[in-house]
Amino acid sequence: MPSWALKLSAVFITLFTLAGSFGYASAHLKNPNAPLQPPVAGRPAASGSPTASPAPTIGPLLTPRPGQRQPSTTPGPRLTLAPGVQNASLPPLTFTHTS
Amino acid sequence: MDPQLVVWIVARATGVAAYIALCLSILSGIALRTSVLDFLATNRALRSLHDFMIWVWIPLGVAHAATLLLDKTAQIAPSDLIVPFRVSYAPVAIGLGTLSLDIVVLVTVTSWLRRRMDDRLWRWVHRSSYVAFVTLFFHALLSGTDFSSPLISAISWSTALGIGLLATSRIVFGRLPE
Repeated sequence: MPSWALKLSAVFITLFTLAGSFGYASAHLKNPNAPLQPPVAGRPAASGSPTASPAPTIGPLLTPRPGQRQPSTTPGPRLTLAPGVQNASLPPLTFTHTS
Repeated sequence: MDPQLVVWIVARATGVAAYIALCLSILSGIALRTSVLDFLATNRALRSLHDFMIWVWIPLGVAHAATLLLDKTAQIAPSDLIVPFRVSYAPVAIGLGTLSLDIVVLVTVTSWLRRRMDDRLWRWVHRSSYVAFVTLFFHALLSGTDFSSPLISAISWSTALGIGLLATSRIVFGRLPE
């Protein structure tokens, strides 16, 4: 085999590998099975005990008018059912307005 | 696409391609001086290929190192390309790649200076390319993101097996004289 053909074959194999690897890496940007998972820069290191994140809160549905008192955010009384009370086979009440 | 993603993809692709190019270079070099392949000893084309492969793997190796320097996630410092085992999150896995790069650069530079060197010293330095390949293989195995891919894994293992078989046959059956 001539020298140039051998060199061309080697270059072709390498370029084919480069193109194939490029395509594979583009299709699999994140590999969860990768042996190395470098820490993300700027992220604090994980500590021994987890810290609680603040619970999501829902803001007031109604905006108070000027001079109106802010509604209390204290939780209401909890409903505890006696053992004898059973669930009814009726659709749940979702509308309580009466005229 | 995010430039950091492009850098990351290029780093991975050039890493695999540089590995293959270096394997071809080593395979062509071993084949020239292994007694079981004595019919190749006088093959000028193979010798020419061995010399030529330097110009294929050097740009790929440089691109692999340069893109990893630019990659913010990899967190590789310029000194990590010369001094091995210093990257905090994977000192061994990445350090083996640095060690391999150091040895390969030494082998390449001494090859260019061969006429000015003692032949015996040059030969021993050139033989260290086996160590370079072993460290390169374990670098790929321990840190290669795509090594878990069946196709890339099959190619990497088969080339490593080929080099291992030729190196073993060279030890067992002898080496051809210069």
